[in-house]
Order: sequence, then structure tokens, then C-alpha cells
Amino acid sequence: MSNSEKTALIIGGGMAGMEAAIKLGGAGYQAVLLEKEDHLGGIMNQLYGSFPRWDNPQKMAEQKVKMVEENPNITVKINTTVKSVEKKDKSFSVELSSNEKIEFDAVILATGFGFYDASEYAEYGYGAFDNVFTALEFEGKLKEMESWDKKDLPKVVAFFKCVGSRDRSKGYPYCSKICCMFTAKEAGLMKDLNPDAKCFVFYMDYRAAGKEYEEFARSVIEDKHVRYVRGRPAKVLPDNGKLMIRAEDTLMGVPVEVAADMIVLANAMVPSETTKELASMFEAKTDQYGFIDYIPGYPTQTGYRVFFAGGCGFPVESLGAQYQGAAAAAEVIALFNQG
Amino acid sequence: MLNTADFYHVWRIDQSSNALKEEIKEHCHTDIEMCLECGKCSGGCSNAHIFDITPRKIIQLIKMGEEAKLLRMDALWSCVACQLCVDRCPSSINIPRIMDYLREKSYNQSIPASRPNVELFHELMLGHIKRFGRVPEALLSVEFNLRSKQYTKDAQMGMKMFFKGKLNPIPARVKDIKKVRRMFRNMPMQREG
Repeated sequence: MSNSEKTALIIGGGMAGMEAAIKLGGAGYQAVLLEKEDHLGGIMNQLYGSFPRWDNPQKMAEQKVKMVEENPNITVKINTTVKSVEKKDKSFSVELSSNEKIEFDAVILATGFGFYDASEYAEYGYGAFDNVFTALEFEGKLKEMESWDKKDLPKVVAFFKCVGSRDRSKGYPYCSKICCMFTAKEAGLMKDLNPDAKCFVFYMDYRAAGKEYEEFARSVIEDKHVRYVRGRPAKVLPDNGKLMIRAEDTLMGVPVEVAADMIVLANAMVPSETTKELASMFEAKTDQYGFIDYIPGYPTQTGYRVFFAGGCGFPVESLGAQYQGAAAAAEVIALFNQG
Repeated sequence: MLNTADFYHVWRIDQSSNALKEEIKEHCHTDIEMCLECGKCSGGCSNAHIFDITPRKIIQLIKMGEEAKLLRMDALWSCVACQLCVDRCPSSINIPRIMDYLREKSYNQSIPASRPNVELFHELMLGHIKRFGRVPEALLSVEFNLRSKQYTKDAQMGMKMFFKGKLNPIPARVKDIKKVRRMFRNMPMQREG
């Protein structure tokens, strides 16, 4: 039922890539969806909860995977990466890790983001102390804690925001945009697992710019009773089996301490190595950090017949990734329709 | 009166008590967790310049469970309950009501106020409300000035106001004083010591 022999390559099988494939396939064009892991869904598979509606992330991903599988125009290639690219006049000849060589008329990069190495912050003891986790590790921990005995659950959990974000000395000057929301989510989920646990979120400000986001963050504070403390923690020291956090409560101007059982670091989102490699292969435009950049006036385009969506451009939440995937697909469809 | 020395220590916020917060939720029907920490209350407070601690910080101290500090603060007695804070608060946090609650609590625990005569004024004013259901200014100022031994204070202005018909020496009373008395029975002043 395809209305054209034109084929698009979509690299990355997360929410953005799947959405782009679904839209392209739905328009009757061929879409090849490349995924380096052995299953689709990307980062959604590692999450325990979602914001702002507390939906189950695996179910959200499953729904998309089903739509991908039901679409006859989409070819999914798992455990596959790009080996080399040969640029032609109006297409790319791409050699895959499976040694196949396929001709593509357009490419959508949807390779997602990577994470800042939290051990750069020696003062927080990531990697040195047990029970200091990154936010993504903590999502897995939450899943694990479901089956724990209540007495074994942590009683005091502290969440640090801006680990590597908004940091001009050790990290990146930009705001990673989604940490405020997933930190609120994780603190809320911790409270759901153990309402007696005290959760502290150390923040400079919480940025909840999105539909239902402010309400979500407030509900975590007001209904789930997570305590927000304004101030970036300065250091973490082991103290009788606990982790002693020292910070300033900048609203009161006083030094505060919290003896925590567990610390969760919202480490910055950074361009992944894959993104950087692919950007140079496809001659995509990148910004000063290595994120895929857009051509002015063409918000989803980054090079000649090269488009992008999702976290490879900048950290984005799952819903935003889907918007971008659909938008990139629309651009490719428009391009293909021109003949 | 709180001073800088009151803040010279490390605050173990993981050990702070939620008791005062819960108490205020129950008695003042105000959830201080709704505070957005914006400072609009302090910014517009008519008396913030003479407060030892501003309204926003008072809410923070409640969050931190610092009851002992709150009951000692001078702001309890310099707040004039003008209601500007609650009127402007984006979360409708009823700060004057919280101040009233804390003031009564401080008074009932016989914690001395840092200003002279404020407790006397507090007693007289509430006594008048109990008697008349309203505050008769003339009677209150005369009684207060006599009891606080400030015999000539306000005398000149009081006379002027009297001759202009601005002061009524005979206190007026509300129609249904029983309702007022009932309020006082429900919330008695019980001073310790």
C-alpha cells in the first residue's frame, strides 16, 4: 500500500523515533527504524513512573511499539547501528552493522541523550559511597524497592537537582529542562512506597513550564508532603552509616544538615557519543555542546535531507519527544511529496 | 525578640517536628505547605520594617518546626493584623490568623514580649471585645494610659477629638453580645504562671 518507493532511515527506537516511524509509515512511505538495543522503547523501559499524569512508562512505550509493529511500512532493525554513510546526490547509502547496504532518501536522527558523569562531583560521593544514585538508577531502585520489607525502605531520601546542569565550572551552563519534573516524580513515588519516609528536594528553583507541570510539582509538595529546600547541597559525608548532607537553606540564610539514607542525583543530560558520531557521519549541524542543532527557519532539520527529533537535540520529556518525532516525520513527508 | 544569635547553629531539618505545622492546619485552617515562598507577604507587609522576622520567614520557621523561636519573636506583637499579606497571598495563606494563634499561644505560655506594655494592651483590648463586642477607643486609650502609667499620653489629642465629636466616651455594645461571649468560652485565655 506504499504510495512511493521512498525510504527514510530513523536512527533510535525511543519515543521520538517510534513516533516518526509511525507517521511516515502511516503516510505510505517506507521507514526503517534502527535500534542499537535488543528492544524498542528507549529510556522509557528503564523508568518507574512518568509525569505529569503518573502513567506507567512501560505501558506508554508498549502502546507505541504495538503501533510500530502493526504498521506494514515500518521495518524494525534491532541490535543494529550505522557503520558508514556514503552521501549521494539526493540520498544516502548507509552501511549497517549487519553489513547490509541500503539507500535512504532521508534520515531522522532520534538517538536520545546521554548522562553527565555524576562522579565529577567528588563532594557528592557518587561512586564512592553506597546509596548515592543517579536519577535513572533510582528509577530501577524504586522498582526493586516495591518488593522490599517496609522496615528496610529508606527513611530519609534526599534529591539533589542541577548536578552538572547550570554549572559553569564542572558541568554545563544550560538547564537540562526535565530534571525538576522527574525529581518531583521520583520523590513522590518514594513517598507512595513509604509514606513515613522523609523526602528532601534540594533545589535552586523548580522549573515546571509545561501543561499540568506546576500542578504536578505542587501536588508532590502539598499532597505527598515532599519537603523542598532551596539551596544546592555543598557536600556529603558518611556519618554513622548515614550520609550527612550539608547545605544552606537560602530562604532562611541558615546552614542546614540532613542525615540521609539515600541520595539521588539529578545529573545533567548531555549529548550522547552516538549522537556526536552520527552527526559527523551525516554532516548534521551541532551546537557548542554537541547536541544536534536546527537550521534557522527549519526547526526539525539539521542538514541536507537530515532531520532530528527528541533528546539528541536537547533534553526533552516523552510527550515532547513524540511531538518532535511527528514534526520531523511531517518534514520528511513534505520532502518526499515534492518528488 | 529574635536576633542573629538565634540563627547561629546548624539546623537539622530531618529531625524537625511537624507538630506545629499540623496544629496550624487544624486551628487556622491553613496549609502552610501551599506557600510558594514568593515573599509577596513580606514585600507588602505594612510593618515589615519593624519586624524581627518577616512573614515569609515565619512560614518557613513553621515548616522547620521552630515553635520556641516563633513564640519569642517580636513580630507577634508588632503585627497589626492589617490583612494585606493574606489579601495578596497567591495561595491565600491566612498569616494574620496564624499570627493570632501564635500570639495567644505565646501569651498563654507567659513568654514575655520584648516590647513594654504590649501584653497589657492585648489583655485590655480583648477584655473590651469580651465586654462590648467591639473596641471603644476612648475607653481603651484612657484605661491603657492609666494602667501603663502614661498619664498625659494622648490627652491633648483626645480632648481635641472629643470636642470634634470623634470620640464617644460611652462605649457602644454589639446587639448580640452572647455570641461574642460564646466565642471567648470556646477559646479561653489561659495564662500560665
